[in-house]
Amino acid sequence: MATDTLVTISLGKEKQAAMDRFLAKGFPTNKWEEWKYASLKSLNDVDWNWNTSEAPAATPLLAIETALHVQTLNGKFSVHSALPQGIEILEFDAFAQQNPNFIAGWIHRNPILEQNSLYDLNEALTSSHQVIWVKAGTILDRPILHQYVADVSIASAIQSKVLIYLEKGASLTWVDDLSTLSSSESILSNYVQEIWVEEAAQLTFVKTQDFALKTTHIDHTFIFQQGNSQVDMFTFSINGGFVRNNLHFYVDGENVLSNLNGLYVPGNNEFIDSHTVVDHRKPNCESNELYKGVLLGNSTGVFNGKIFVRPDAQKTNAFQSCKNVLASDKATMNTKPQLEIWADDVKCSHGTTTGQLSDEALFYMRSRGISEEAAKTLLMLAFVQQVIDKVEIPELRDSISNRVVAKIQQALGV
Amino acid sequence: MLSIKNLHARIGEKEILRGINLEVKAGEVHAIMGPNGSGKSTLASVLAGREHYEVTDGSVDFLGKDLLDLAPEARAAEGVFLAFQYPVEIPGVSTTNFMKSAVNEIRKYRGEEALDAVQFLKMFKEKMAYVNIDQSLLSRSLNEGFSGGEKKRNEIFQMAVLNPKLAILDETDSGLDIDALRIVAEGVNKLKSPDNATIVVTHYQRLLDYIVPDFVHVLYKGRIVKSGTKELALELEEKGYDWIISALVD
Repeated sequence: MATDTLVTISLGKEKQAAMDRFLAKGFPTNKWEEWKYASLKSLNDVDWNWNTSEAPAATPLLAIETALHVQTLNGKFSVHSALPQGIEILEFDAFAQQNPNFIAGWIHRNPILEQNSLYDLNEALTSSHQVIWVKAGTILDRPILHQYVADVSIASAIQSKVLIYLEKGASLTWVDDLSTLSSSESILSNYVQEIWVEEAAQLTFVKTQDFALKTTHIDHTFIFQQGNSQVDMFTFSINGGFVRNNLHFYVDGENVLSNLNGLYVPGNNEFIDSHTVVDHRKPNCESNELYKGVLLGNSTGVFNGKIFVRPDAQKTNAFQSCKNVLASDKATMNTKPQLEIWADDVKCSHGTTTGQLSDEALFYMRSRGISEEAAKTLLMLAFVQQVIDKVEIPELRDSISNRVVAKIQQALGV
Repeated sequence: MLSIKNLHARIGEKEILRGINLEVKAGEVHAIMGPNGSGKSTLASVLAGREHYEVTDGSVDFLGKDLLDLAPEARAAEGVFLAFQYPVEIPGVSTTNFMKSAVNEIRKYRGEEALDAVQFLKMFKEKMAYVNIDQSLLSRSLNEGFSGGEKKRNEIFQMAVLNPKLAILDETDSGLDIDALRIVAEGVNKLKSPDNATIVVTHYQRLLDYIVPDFVHVLYKGRIVKSGTKELALELEEKGYDWIISALVD
């Protein structure tokens, strides 16, 4: 078994504790409620290389002319642009030494890690833990483009971990461009991002995922928001054999706005699973969640959206919507909205729909001379475009749009 | 141009068209009238190729082609246009993009070169004048949040762009106030030529004050039970349908 070799790796005390937690639980199986559709049991059969330090050169999929460039290649982080004033990128240990007050609060952050053994695996094995530190009042007018690439010649398990820290009043646009370049080898890409958004800070976060069929990508994005802050999150899952996105928002201050946008277009033999949590812990906050999926070929999708409204979180507005189109008879979508509301003065709504394209709309379009396949494509592109159009960086919007359009057209044979 | 012979159609087990016969020549305007449930909209839908109706008997010849044998998109490319009673809302697709796709697909069917952006711009500008429609409406999602009048004007704009040989207007007057009705009717009249024909399906005579028919047919229980000239429509307006129906019983 692949995990057997983990026992022989020598680790420091804290990392060993994390490793012990992982080994006690193992890879998730579908006996775990949170992994009902998404067993990772087969990862036990792969002879993983757990230490991926070599880093060949990689070509970025995405180019944004104005962006600052940083890169994670096989788990190794590097900075490729001169950083402007007000932002620093450094190792977690060095950051912790300079920010004891932050760390004092940070260690109590307490994200929901139940049934998440991969987080422990990441903590045990990750060799670099970078901090992107945006200092108080710094408004970065250029986006940071983080190119995250796996490119390996043997089956590899890759861990990486980033902390983004936005101090009071800071503003950042972060673009996560995730991909695997090697299509012939199995890859386990296990990626943890923890994001701390202080008072009145603002973050736009766009994540694109474009992985090979043999890639298993586990994403843990945990966002902690303080008062008067705003986060606009986008997750575009374009390709990937197995993608699991754990996206958590912990709302720890008042007057917070959290926007979660997601789009997934799994194709043949692909599995994309979006598990989101919005945890409203303080009053007068708003969250808007809009997820859309087009399921092609024999793909499977999962949307599990949890919203907690804790007893203190009066006057919460929490909205959730997940809409899916099954583009083929062989595609499957599993949706599960979960609302736990403990406060009485709140507005919450949720709705999930999964269906086929409207026959009425198709006939209307065909009656104007548009072929059935072209009409379907047009309707699906319109369906997904509503999420894509919310992205404000033109090159990024075009790149996402082109990749999504190409994938849908290819699947429909137009 | 259009020759319908003994057309029977049903939906599920219910027979709705029970032997329609109709000849339409180029340059003519035909009005199909009749009480609710007589099969007027079914006839329009069957001609455009809506799939949930099953044609059980009869034939439809359109310019020498068997219309019933063609897919809806092929009928459009051959020159049939249906203005919908309830135009469908299509979020995320603008009218201009919709019409660009339609025009170029039809041109492809006919073996013609695709139009480019400049040619479209020029054509749209010209056609917009027919129904006094605004550019901003055409840039919005097709029919989404449009008023009844805007939807119908948009239908006639599409008709102007596609320039059909046979236009079928299905209850185009429903939901329109008198000003909108006039604008829509004027658009239809401007598009009339000796080479094309129009079938107006309507419940009320009102629309026929503006789009003057050469022939009026009364449809009842799936058959054309009376045909006449425009005076028949006025008579129906005055006396209702009962006198025709009771004459049938006798």
